[in-house]
Amino acid sequence: MDVIDQLNAVKNGNLSRRAFQKSLLGLGIGMMTTPFTASRAAAQDGQGTLFTWGGYDVPELYTNYEAANGALPDFAVFGGAEDALTRMRSGFVVDVAHPCHTDMVRWVQTGLFQPIDTSRLSNWGDVLPELVALEGNQAEGGRPWMVPFDWGGTSITYRTDLVEIEGEESWDILWDERYAGRIGMLASGGDAWWCAAIKAGVPFDQIATEMAFEKTSAALREQRPLVRVYTDDTTTLGQALSSGEMVAAMTWNSTAVELQYEEIPVRFAQPKEGALTWVCGLMMHKDAPNPDRAYDIIDSMLSAEAGEFKIGSYGNGHSNGKSFEKFTDEELQGLGLSANPRDILDAGQFSIPQEQEWESRMNETYELIKAGF
Amino acid sequence: MKDGTYIQQPNRGLQVYAIVFLIVLYLPVLFIPLFSFNDSIYVRFPMQGFTFNWYVDLWTRDTVWAALKNSLTVGLWVSVISTGLGGVAARAITRYRMPGQSAIITLAMLPLIVPGVIFGVALLVLVSRLGIPLSLYTVGFGHLIICLPFAIATLLPRFEGFDRSMEEASADLGETGWWTFWRVTFPMVAPGIVASLLLTFTISFDEFIMTFFLSGTDTTLPIYIWTQLRFPREFPAVLALSTIILALSFVMVFVALWVGRLGVVSDQVQATIEGN
Amino acid sequence: MVSVADTEPIARGRFARWFRRSEAAQGYALMSPALLVLIIGIAVPLIILVVMSMWTRDGFGFDMTPTIANYQRAATEPIFGTLLTRSFFVSGLATFFTVLLCYPMAYYVAFHVHRNKMLWIVLMTLPFWTSYLLRVFAWRVILGYEGVINSAFLSVGWIEAPLEFLLYSQTAVIITLAHAWAAFAILPLYVSLEKIDKSLLEAATDLGDGPFKRFMRITLPLSMPGVISACFLIFIPTTGDYITPALLGGPDGVMIGNLIQLQFGPVNNWPMGSALSIVLMAWIAALALVFLFLTRKAKDHLA
Repeated sequence: MDVIDQLNAVKNGNLSRRAFQKSLLGLGIGMMTTPFTASRAAAQDGQGTLFTWGGYDVPELYTNYEAANGALPDFAVFGGAEDALTRMRSGFVVDVAHPCHTDMVRWVQTGLFQPIDTSRLSNWGDVLPELVALEGNQAEGGRPWMVPFDWGGTSITYRTDLVEIEGEESWDILWDERYAGRIGMLASGGDAWWCAAIKAGVPFDQIATEMAFEKTSAALREQRPLVRVYTDDTTTLGQALSSGEMVAAMTWNSTAVELQYEEIPVRFAQPKEGALTWVCGLMMHKDAPNPDRAYDIIDSMLSAEAGEFKIGSYGNGHSNGKSFEKFTDEELQGLGLSANPRDILDAGQFSIPQEQEWESRMNETYELIKAGF
Repeated sequence: MKDGTYIQQPNRGLQVYAIVFLIVLYLPVLFIPLFSFNDSIYVRFPMQGFTFNWYVDLWTRDTVWAALKNSLTVGLWVSVISTGLGGVAARAITRYRMPGQSAIITLAMLPLIVPGVIFGVALLVLVSRLGIPLSLYTVGFGHLIICLPFAIATLLPRFEGFDRSMEEASADLGETGWWTFWRVTFPMVAPGIVASLLLTFTISFDEFIMTFFLSGTDTTLPIYIWTQLRFPREFPAVLALSTIILALSFVMVFVALWVGRLGVVSDQVQATIEGN
Repeated sequence: MVSVADTEPIARGRFARWFRRSEAAQGYALMSPALLVLIIGIAVPLIILVVMSMWTRDGFGFDMTPTIANYQRAATEPIFGTLLTRSFFVSGLATFFTVLLCYPMAYYVAFHVHRNKMLWIVLMTLPFWTSYLLRVFAWRVILGYEGVINSAFLSVGWIEAPLEFLLYSQTAVIITLAHAWAAFAILPLYVSLEKIDKSLLEAATDLGDGPFKRFMRITLPLSMPGVISACFLIFIPTTGDYITPALLGGPDGVMIGNLIQLQFGPVNNWPMGSALSIVLMAWIAALALVFLFLTRKAKDHLA
């Protein structure tokens, strides 16, 4: 029975249930088979694959890539660098991955990546050298393992109307008993542990010692009764701050930016002990199936256009110095950045990459503390 | 007792309960469409203003539609295959005395006891050892493993209570096994099959944990939604999409049932004539 | 009973004849595709899991000398026991409430709906075609600080400050799980109630039983398979759920599923994660057996 007959039959009330079910079956089968052929065709096209954080699959970051290749790259998304590493170690092959600098050293140790030939990147000249010269980023021949892309701070976003600041801003805000039950913390140890270490007065170069573990654990345990929720979800933190459910939270720049855009009175603190600074960047898989496209992806992300979008929309710093030129000083200040990125980089504290053993132990300890043990 | 059989006495209390139940069931779900019209990226109670922006914005996001299509495709395949395999298994278990029957049932039910993350990782390791690239096929296989126990669990009671004398009568009258299955067995277990199809499709369509480990570059809708949760700017678009899905499901279902109803009378007449 | 084999047309060959006589062979043949999927998809990964639970983490790789150290840790460190108990408690309550609240609904559709049964069934499952993640988010909107409940109570004047225990607590997890898994209760309950022979109930009426007695003696026992299915379908997966506790549980709502997932993520201790999974599975199996035993006792008692 073809479609016209069927429609007529429906109109005349003649379509038997069986016939209708048959046609549903046909439709179902049709649906099930077409998309497979379509996606197979797309896969053969061979766009580069980017393995990145959720929310980075927006077209504005890849305009140059799209112009050169006619389509956006393929995206695979991970929730955290550990999940990403797990998957890649289990055999998931991509072209480009997007870890952060504390992950870089351990990722290199897995032997899954290759150094990047910066001569193939047109935007390399504008990249801020401080971001490249991180510990462990030099492969043979002076080529880096990781090309920096974005950077920013982990600090406190707090409600200026609900939190009393005596003197200078400090990490103590998040440990203040007056705000018990109204404090938010990041769930990932990669940020929270280091910030707690700053609060506990542990110098970063001693963070692998037993003393460091004890002091930081103590600080985190002390804080736990005050914390309403531990989450990496910026949506949650943002909403809680905007409603007053929380008065202060450990966040990245983007949360403060979004709240300010919504005209909520918040400030991204510059604590006197120093905020935590992070740098994330791009690494290339050693078995990358599309190396040319991989370089296109990286180059596109390094471009000033992508950088402007990153700064304006996410409030994070970009590795290309030229991206800052379009913004006024006040705008950058409000974002917790500066026209002279070096200022921020100097004022903040970079976490120092550690061994896998340390990372695992740190995460395990933090999870225990969060669960109440 | 009053006139008429037991089941025909309407029970007011129960009716009210049913309505209230449906309302409570739907209420949380209806917040999704409600906030898709909210003029703010934050989902906060009272609403900020009414806008269609998010729907317009959604139209331009190709990745969303791709994710949706993938979810539908995988869901349809998985529900059909798992119901098929589950039905066959349920029939085999109830119809034939097989040694090791309870062992098989236990094996089949294992995915229910094991957290999805375990299966996700275990299957990931297995698949990578075998050199199979991650794709919608691996995702589908993962879903199949999870859905099969549900299919069997739904169909087993149906096959269990099934009156075998009907089948034997049909065989005695000289019909082949296949005809018997199709015209006698199948209609009697049909509600179970429909329930199984619905259940398995629902599970697959919404499956997140295992999918997360087993997907390659083609994402399914739950994965896509989850990736959007980190950036509130994208969030209302996600709400808009879910609203559309909900609305479409309603429409599809009502159309199917309306058309189905047209056929019911003629079917019943047909059945009587055929002397079923 | 006339065996089907005798009325079949001529069986070809001796194997075919044996095949037709042997129920086991026929049964297995019928099941073979399903069986294959089960073995590859379930048995093999689980074997991998058991093997891995006896390894130890060693940097990026594993120290493969078999050891039961992980199990010892699971038995002695307090966090594991506490989280297990908490998970069973939360899931148990969620299961109990879900089945209790869905039973009348399934009963209604099975017995009191005469037309459009399909419509009702679909109506009951439609909400679950929205994403689980979004439904959890919807519950956050309802239970949240500025959520529906708090706003409503505040505006009516029943409370002066928003109720904080509604969200980021075990309560929130129980409520959300109960709602999210309702479909898994309704369908098995409905299927089981539907196939109860109405004539049994009519006979009971004729013999003078009141509605309550009818329910207790016929409906409830006959629907037990459905109740059991529903309980299993909800309890077992929810004990291992990590999404709802992660999004709504708060620091005190962490469940064993979260801990297991973390072993495969940031904590990077796959062997421990495997061991925990097996411990969880063993406990669930034990609880399931106890439950089956109790329900059988209850059923015998009722009948």
